[in-house]
Amino acid sequence: MESIKSKKITAVWIITILTLFVVSIVLGILMRLNQGGVIEQTPVAFYVNMTTHGLTMIGIWFVAGMMAVNFLLQRYVKTSHTVNILALVFTVVGVLMLWTSTFIGKFHAGWTFLYPLPFKIMWAKWATPVFYLALVVLVVGWLIWCLSLIAQILKKYSISQTFAWQHFKKNPKVETPPFILISMITLVGITTCLIAAVVLVALTAAEYFSKGAFVNDALLMKNLTYFFGHTIANEMLYLGLAVIYELFSEISGRPKWKTTWYVAIAWNFTLVFILTAFFHHLYMDFVQPEGLQIVGQLASYFASLPAAGVTVFSIFIAVYRTKINWSLPNLLFFIGTAGWVIGGLGAVIDATISNNVVLHNTLWVPAHFHTYNAMGNVLFSLGFFYWFATLDTEKIYSGKGTKLILSLLLIGGIGFLLAFYIAGADSIPRRYSNYPPELAAGIPLATMGAAFATIYLIGILIFFFNISKGCLKILSSPSS
Amino acid sequence: MQQNSILLLFLILAALATITFLYIYLSSKNVELVKQGMENPLKKRFWFLLILFVVLSIFASVTIPKSPYYLFADETPAKVVHVSAMQFAFIMSENAIDPKRPSGQAIEVPANGLVEFRVTSLDVNHGFAIYNPEERLITQTQAMPGYVNRLRYKFSEPGTYKIFCLEYCGMAHQGMRASFIVK
Ligand code: HEM
Ligand SMILES: [Cu+2]
Repeated sequence: MESIKSKKITAVWIITILTLFVVSIVLGILMRLNQGGVIEQTPVAFYVNMTTHGLTMIGIWFVAGMMAVNFLLQRYVKTSHTVNILALVFTVVGVLMLWTSTFIGKFHAGWTFLYPLPFKIMWAKWATPVFYLALVVLVVGWLIWCLSLIAQILKKYSISQTFAWQHFKKNPKVETPPFILISMITLVGITTCLIAAVVLVALTAAEYFSKGAFVNDALLMKNLTYFFGHTIANEMLYLGLAVIYELFSEISGRPKWKTTWYVAIAWNFTLVFILTAFFHHLYMDFVQPEGLQIVGQLASYFASLPAAGVTVFSIFIAVYRTKINWSLPNLLFFIGTAGWVIGGLGAVIDATISNNVVLHNTLWVPAHFHTYNAMGNVLFSLGFFYWFATLDTEKIYSGKGTKLILSLLLIGGIGFLLAFYIAGADSIPRRYSNYPPELAAGIPLATMGAAFATIYLIGILIFFFNISKGCLKILSSPSS
Repeated sequence: MQQNSILLLFLILAALATITFLYIYLSSKNVELVKQGMENPLKKRFWFLLILFVVLSIFASVTIPKSPYYLFADETPAKVVHVSAMQFAFIMSENAIDPKRPSGQAIEVPANGLVEFRVTSLDVNHGFAIYNPEERLITQTQAMPGYVNRLRYKFSEPGTYKIFCLEYCGMAHQGMRASFIVK
């Protein structure tokens, strides 16, 4: 089972992630305040905040899922402690380099750093290479982590077992635990998109060092960018789901979930859909082959089938008219699932090409992805953090602050998101540091977003305070 | 407008989801320790999936033909407008634009006539989004270096239409704009 060593590094992960989260939320609130005209920052300062916020958030909630999966995997297989430490070091160094390029070097090409924007220097000359180096550090660290976890799983299970293919037939001899199946599917997806990131950086570097002899194709680069960006942002949600499959029933005092034929099929399908859904980011590029546009819409639609039919339905079955020991962690899992579903609805609407024409790059986009992040995946991870921090205490999941924290997160989160959705439906563009007079409707909505986000932030701070005791106790316990 | 129905649809679906989750949650609050649960969940799951599949398929088959790629595809445009986007302005002209010496002119297009915008970029990716006189986004395409996107549209209402850049392109992105007149 989980050793003291692995508990300690997990505690360090949690404190690091929550600290970076608080800073990133503050950046988000500053952005909304600036758009609302409450404070006045230069556009460059705004876009620096935006770039930093986006990449840091993606980074921390990705590693939050990874480190939770790593921790729980130890129930089934041995994982490498060294690689876990290495991933932590690479992540922290990568984030610090990223912040150097943005806060000091003023690099501000957005978290998607869409080619060829990073080449049009509007910042310190050194900031572009430092940004890409930061990216390389993060991607390499995470790739090693992923491959190491996959290797450890494959030491115990055969390839077909990890994908639960034996469950397609009746009465399989061995059961693949759901946690192993989902972790494997997700790790494979992540590895694929990290490799895309490597190719992307390599192509960019080739152009950078060729001094004009080699020029990239903008359409190919955009496809690669979203293959990486969209996929990693989605896969991190599945890491959170793996944790739910493992812990929801356990925390609720219910029997453990089992892999069945439909669970196996659903997750195998998920792998296919998730790797082709990114095409919806290119709907407005009319030169993209039409077939790929249709694939984008169909994959985005049908990705919801296995997810809803299996995960959401399983949670419903587990809870419906069944006695549950409700506590903060499983409430966070449950509410997070609702947030995930609702964000998914916003996403499916936007993934409809004929809607995308009037929603693409409006605030509808941050509206839906913040729904399944801030009110979905983040809550999954917070549930894990809380469960972890109270692992050794007598009064497990003591209700202290549960109601207060949940109310703050819910009220703050919903208000913050509504401001995005309404503005998006009102044609207000995303990524605007200030709104021109014609789009003035976005201004009060931005202020409203900032106010509600502050309520959400207070909820996070109380949560952080509550679990920091548990984390610090684990850190100060004797090592052997 | 399309956006209003979209917002309404979303709010209804979100409310339905919230009610379902709330109902399921409450059903677990007042229950004896004996497990009651759901009878034959596998069958219910099957129906749930089937219905979802059918609904999504209908949605897809209704909406895909309405994609912008097929709009007015077999008509001949009454007017062609060339657009070259660059940091941080749009150059528009009735004649092809020379990328070495880009120059534009004021644009006027006929109401109810088919207009084709041939949109490209001279530097980074930009967006070409058309807002009607009520400041509603009505259609858009991307401006990508090395490619020309053809956007077709019929404007029914005369007036001044605005163009905003909808792809982040750097520090003056929020100020990148243009306009044209529909007469
Ligand atoms: C309450 C907490 C949060 C606040 C106040 C906040 C605020 C914001 C704001 C104001 C923007 C810019 C919107 C615009 O385009 O005008 C933004 C963008 C973004 N946020 Fe958040 N956010 C929060 C949580 C999160 C979380 C949990 C994630 C996790 C993935 C996240 C990821 C992103 C990303 C990827 C972008 C896009 C950045 C870009 O356009 O380059 N945010 N956020
Ligand atoms: Cu632009």
